[in-house]
Amino acid sequence: MNGTTADLATQQQALLAALLGEMGDAKKIANYVHLVRGGGLKAYRTNGHAAAERALRAAYPVVTQLLGDESLAGLARALWHAHPPHQGDLACWGEDLADFMSRSAQLASEPYLSDLARLEWAVHRAACAPDAEPDWPSLALLSTHPFEVLRLRLAPGLRVVRSAWPVVSLCLAHTEAGATPEALARVGGKLRVAVAESAVVWRQGWRPCLREADAAEADLLSAVLAGASLAEALGAAPALDVAAWLPDVVRSGILLGVCAMEGA
Amino acid sequence: MSAPAYGEARPCVGLGWRQPHYQALMSSRPALDFLEVHSENFFGEGGAARAVLLQGRAHYPISLHGVGLSLGSALGVDPVHLRQLADLVKRVDPMLVSDHASFARGLWRDQVVHAADLLPLPFTDEALAVLCRNVQTVQEALQRPMAVENLSAYLQWQAQDWTEPEFLAELCRRTGCGLVLDVNNLYVNARNQQLAGEGSDPLAACLDWLAALPTQAVAEIHLAGHTVVVDDEGGSMVIDDHGSQVIEPVWQLYRAAVSRWGAVPTLIEWDTAVPALDVLLDEVRRARAVALDVLEAVT
Repeated sequence: MNGTTADLATQQQALLAALLGEMGDAKKIANYVHLVRGGGLKAYRTNGHAAAERALRAAYPVVTQLLGDESLAGLARALWHAHPPHQGDLACWGEDLADFMSRSAQLASEPYLSDLARLEWAVHRAACAPDAEPDWPSLALLSTHPFEVLRLRLAPGLRVVRSAWPVVSLCLAHTEAGATPEALARVGGKLRVAVAESAVVWRQGWRPCLREADAAEADLLSAVLAGASLAEALGAAPALDVAAWLPDVVRSGILLGVCAMEGA
Repeated sequence: MSAPAYGEARPCVGLGWRQPHYQALMSSRPALDFLEVHSENFFGEGGAARAVLLQGRAHYPISLHGVGLSLGSALGVDPVHLRQLADLVKRVDPMLVSDHASFARGLWRDQVVHAADLLPLPFTDEALAVLCRNVQTVQEALQRPMAVENLSAYLQWQAQDWTEPEFLAELCRRTGCGLVLDVNNLYVNARNQQLAGEGSDPLAACLDWLAALPTQAVAEIHLAGHTVVVDDEGGSMVIDDHGSQVIEPVWQLYRAAVSRWGAVPTLIEWDTAVPALDVLLDEVRRARAVALDVLEAVT
C-alpha cells in the first residue's frame, strides 16, 4: 500500500507506530511521508520525550529529586513508549510509573520508590479534585440518626496510601519547608529498618496535603471510600479513638460533614 | 464566538497566560485585550488552576486554545476530552475556542493512544472529510463555532489533493468554523522547506500562502518565536518552540495579514523559557504598534 492508496486510519497508525514504537517501526511510515534525513520524525519523538519528562516532573517532584535528572529523563522515555497516554490531558498521564518502577531491575535496590510514586500520584490528582465546601451543621445528624444510616463526607480527592516503607516521612522530608539534614537522616534510619507508614492525602482549600495515618484511621477512611456506612466504617476500625480523631479531621478539612444514606 | 474583528480600526492584542505569570499578571493587571490559555491545563474539576483561570476571567476575555482535541483523527474526537472542554467552556464563556488541524489520537498495538503532539494531516479529501466531521461534532457539543489553527509540520505526507490554504479554507466553508492563522508556523514550514533544498525565499513563500488563502474567516492571528536546531549529522531544522521573540520576517507576515484581514485578535505566544512579564508586554506593545500602523495606512 502506498501513500496515495492508504486510508487515513492506516496512515495515522503508521505515524503513531513510528513515534511510539521501536525505531524499526519507522520503516512503514516511509511509504506515506516525505522524510528529510529523518529529522521530522526525530523532532516529534524528541517532543514526546520532553512532554513525558515534564509530566513526570510535575507529578513526581520527590521521585525526581531522588532519581536525579538523567535517570528521570530515561525513565520518562521508557514509560512513554511502554505506557503511552490514552487521552489529551497530559496531567492524567503517568499513573503507571509506580508499577513500572516496581518491575524495573535497575531500581530493585530501591523498592520504596514505587510506593513513593503512588503517594505522589495521589497528591497530584488531589490538586485538581472537585471543590467542596464543608457542611458543619450536618454534624448534628450524628446525634439524631443511627450510625447505620449515616456516611462520612470526606474531602474530594482524598486517598489512603499504605506502604511497607516510610513514604510519608520520605515525602515530607523532601517537600516541606524546613527540611533539614537531621530529618533526612531520620528518614534514612527508617528506610534501613523498613518502617511501614500509611498516608492520608487530601486537599485543604487549594493546597494538597498529606500526613501519616495510623492503621485504625487508614482502615476507617478506606471503608468510607468504599461506600461503608459510619457504623460499618467504625466497625472496620475498632481501635480508633473517635473522640480524639473527629476534631482533628474537622479542623484539617479531611471531614467535610455527614450525610444520611439514601432511603434513611 | 465573537465575530472576527474585520475592518475594525483598533488593534486587539492578547497574551498567552502561563503558570510563571499567574500571580504577576493578576497583581499588575496590564492593559491586554484578552488572555489565552491552553484548555487542557484547566480540565481539572476543581483546585487552584481553575480558580486562577476564573480570577483571570473576571478581568479579561479568555481565548481557550486546545492542543489535545485531535481534530483530524480518523477515530473521531475523544468524548471524555470533549465533555471536559464543554464543561470548561460553560464555566469560562470564552471569546474563542480553538485547536489545531492535526491528529494525535489513533490505534497503536490495538489500543487507543494519544501522542500528545500536533501531528500533521495529509491534505486529502478523506482527511478533510474527517476533520470537518470532527469539527462539527465539537461545535455541536459546545453549541458555538470554533476555530482551527494551521500547523508547523516537520514532515509532509505524500498523498495530497489540496494545497494547505485551500484545505483550510474549505474546512471553514463546510463547517462554519474560523481559522487561527499562525504566521510563525507558516514561516517555520517555509524555512524547513528551504533547509531541505525545496525553496529559496521563505518570506515570499509565506506571502504566497497568505495570498492563496481564499477565506475571510480568520478569527485569531498567532505570533511566536522559533529556534534553529542542528542535529548530530550537521543538518538543521527549525523548531516551533515558542521560546523567543518574534523575528522580523514574521512581523512582516503579520503586517500582510493585518492589511488583508484587519484588526483580528492577535496573540503573543511564549511557552518555553518564559521570560519576565515585561518582555512579553513589550511584544504585545509591538504587535499593537504594527497593527495600528497598518490599519492607519489602509484607512
